[in-house]
Amino acid sequence: MEFGLWQIWDAGWVGAILRGAAVTIAVGLLSMVAGLLIGIACGLIKWARIFPLSLLVDGYTSVVRGVPELLVIYLLFFSSVEFVTKVITAFGYAGLAESGYAFVIAVIAIGAISGAYSTEVIRGALASIPSGHIEAARALGLPGSRIFRRIIAPQMLRIAVPGINNVWQTTVKDTALVSVVGLQELMRTSYIGANSTRHPFIFYLIAAVVYLVITLVSQAGFDGMERLLRLRARR
Amino acid sequence: MKLKKGELTMKLKVLSLLACLIASTGSVLAADGELSIGTEGAYPPWSMSDANGNVTGFDADVGALLCAKLELKCHFVVQAFDGLIPALKAKRFDVIISGMSITADRKKEINFSVGYAELANMFVAPKGSDLAGITDVDTLLKSLAGKKVGVQAGTTHAHFLEKRAPDADLKTYDTLDQMQIDLASGRIDTAFADQSALQDFLDKPDGKNFQLVNVQIKSSSDATLGEGIGVGIAQENTELKGKIDKALCELIADGSVGKASQKWFKTDISRPCN
Amino acid sequence: MELIQLAVPVLLKGLWVTAALTLVSVLIGFNLGLGLALMRLSSNRFAIGFAKYYSNVFRGTPLLVQIFIFYYGLGEVSLIRNNAVLWWVISDGSRCAVLALALNTAAYTSEILRGGLMSVPAGLVEAAQACGMSRLLRFRRIEFPLAIRQALPAYGNELILVVKGTSLASTITVLEITGYAKRLMSQTYAIFEIFAIAGMLYLVVNLLLVAAVRSIERYLMRHEARARQGVSTPLLDGTVTV
Repeated sequence: MEFGLWQIWDAGWVGAILRGAAVTIAVGLLSMVAGLLIGIACGLIKWARIFPLSLLVDGYTSVVRGVPELLVIYLLFFSSVEFVTKVITAFGYAGLAESGYAFVIAVIAIGAISGAYSTEVIRGALASIPSGHIEAARALGLPGSRIFRRIIAPQMLRIAVPGINNVWQTTVKDTALVSVVGLQELMRTSYIGANSTRHPFIFYLIAAVVYLVITLVSQAGFDGMERLLRLRARR
Repeated sequence: MKLKKGELTMKLKVLSLLACLIASTGSVLAADGELSIGTEGAYPPWSMSDANGNVTGFDADVGALLCAKLELKCHFVVQAFDGLIPALKAKRFDVIISGMSITADRKKEINFSVGYAELANMFVAPKGSDLAGITDVDTLLKSLAGKKVGVQAGTTHAHFLEKRAPDADLKTYDTLDQMQIDLASGRIDTAFADQSALQDFLDKPDGKNFQLVNVQIKSSSDATLGEGIGVGIAQENTELKGKIDKALCELIADGSVGKASQKWFKTDISRPCN
Repeated sequence: MELIQLAVPVLLKGLWVTAALTLVSVLIGFNLGLGLALMRLSSNRFAIGFAKYYSNVFRGTPLLVQIFIFYYGLGEVSLIRNNAVLWWVISDGSRCAVLALALNTAAYTSEILRGGLMSVPAGLVEAAQACGMSRLLRFRRIEFPLAIRQALPAYGNELILVVKGTSLASTITVLEITGYAKRLMSQTYAIFEIFAIAGMLYLVVNLLLVAAVRSIERYLMRHEARARQGVSTPLLDGTVTV
């Protein structure tokens, strides 16, 4: 029953776990980017109350935030495949549909979840921009796109940073759920290791530590960014 | 509107490109002349996966034999058992080779090749327990009432017990490994699976205090248990079914499947092709 | 239609399990979270450190990993297997899920309540002190009621996260809504329909929860509403308390 870290090392599990962690980070980052783009688009729609679209966005955010992530992943993974294949082939990546399938679905599922939370963050940030600033810009005759770029976006981003940090942490943790449908990320690798070596404790503990490192490092990164933004704002 | 569409295009392009990068390091790119095989990878000795994602086991061998016969390159996709059929229907892979029994219910969803193997279904229980001494099917199924019985999710074993032992407290697991862990730790009273899988457990240190219950439940005894183990193929893929049937029959006839079976099960479980 | 007739009763059976898991986890988790929040605000260095690390560890790792550590990981440790009480908790999937969910929500709850407690104006506490209130009485009558008002909206969100978190219990053999949905999926293969119905059940539960939290909020803030109508203001925002 002697089983230790060296056996894990010996059987190649350390490399596998690191590769898994890389996949986790890749899924997390891509989903976050996708989610932020969704969040900015939907947040703007919600904030500006663009009528029929805002209803859709409301539906999207309340469904995604009210239904367990696991269920969303099962649903997307097992049933929406043809749609996804179509979208991907439409962009000219035919071969991808099969090989990177689990990865793409993972990003779509986690991105959709992350996007719903980002939407709320962005909307909140937009709402806290003093309307006077925008009115003033309008009075100066700035075109809409420049108002967005020069007035709205910078303020919005600064206010949204803590919220985006929260969404990022949640997104990274949500990627663990994709393991249940077979993408070999950090959790899945630990799961396979736990089952095949019969030492779940050590494997899940390692997974927990790696996740903790990811979240703590990014927390530190966000703290630094916040400080920087506050300094720049003061100047 | 214009802005949004641009965003979407870019997003998808970036996403796809990065996914491509990841995919190319992880799995083999699918192309013509390749057969992608969905398997569970956690059902010893049928299919196991290791740290590098390689699949071994009886089903891996059957897959390799089949690919050699068909002159295709094999590529395994590992997927939890209860997700195999949905994933096949979703075209995530071409065929399922994962110790999957051919049943009427599954035939409504997918097609099957001819059966290539057949095994008895059995229970395992702690040595000397009440269950371990039972010798006939009806008593056994009756005495499961209120007992915690482990089965693998979505298997014929689960469907059989859902129907024939409705009073049992069924615990369903994604993988057999998890079920074995819980069996060894005493979380469940007994488990139902095919004989080979249970034998694999008994041969491990974990299984030293356990024994098979001396009741063989033949597949023919209940429709939920199916008619042997076959290769799952998408319903519309009739051409592939024809090729696989022919190849399998040849491989069974020339003893290749039997040899693989001897290697993993120490007995020939191949099913004669008719 | 036939499918709905088949699926809905089964999923409703799961709904009760989901509700029970949520309720027990929240009851335990709230009290633990309150304890942790008080530790964070205490002057004991060890208590502060412990609460901080606890919160970081549980908030920094996925719930799924926590559940697997408790269920599969601790199940491997013979020390626990040989202890009757610990094994009673760990041996059963639903008890294990409650344990993980409660410890997880405790971490988030502690952060929410800490924020609420910190927002209580110092002047109010000092005033209570001056009135000769004991520490416990002060906490019960002044700090806690004010903190909970402040924390309620965030806590409502946390409750929803717990409801959603219970779905992970399905990965350790618990048959709640998601567990039954998965079983139905492998029986009928009507994936979309089954998961859509299951999703709707969760949505209904969460919408009811939101409505309940809102009405509690309104009840607790009823004096605020009156204040806005022009009656004298208790000045909760602390603007005049200096």
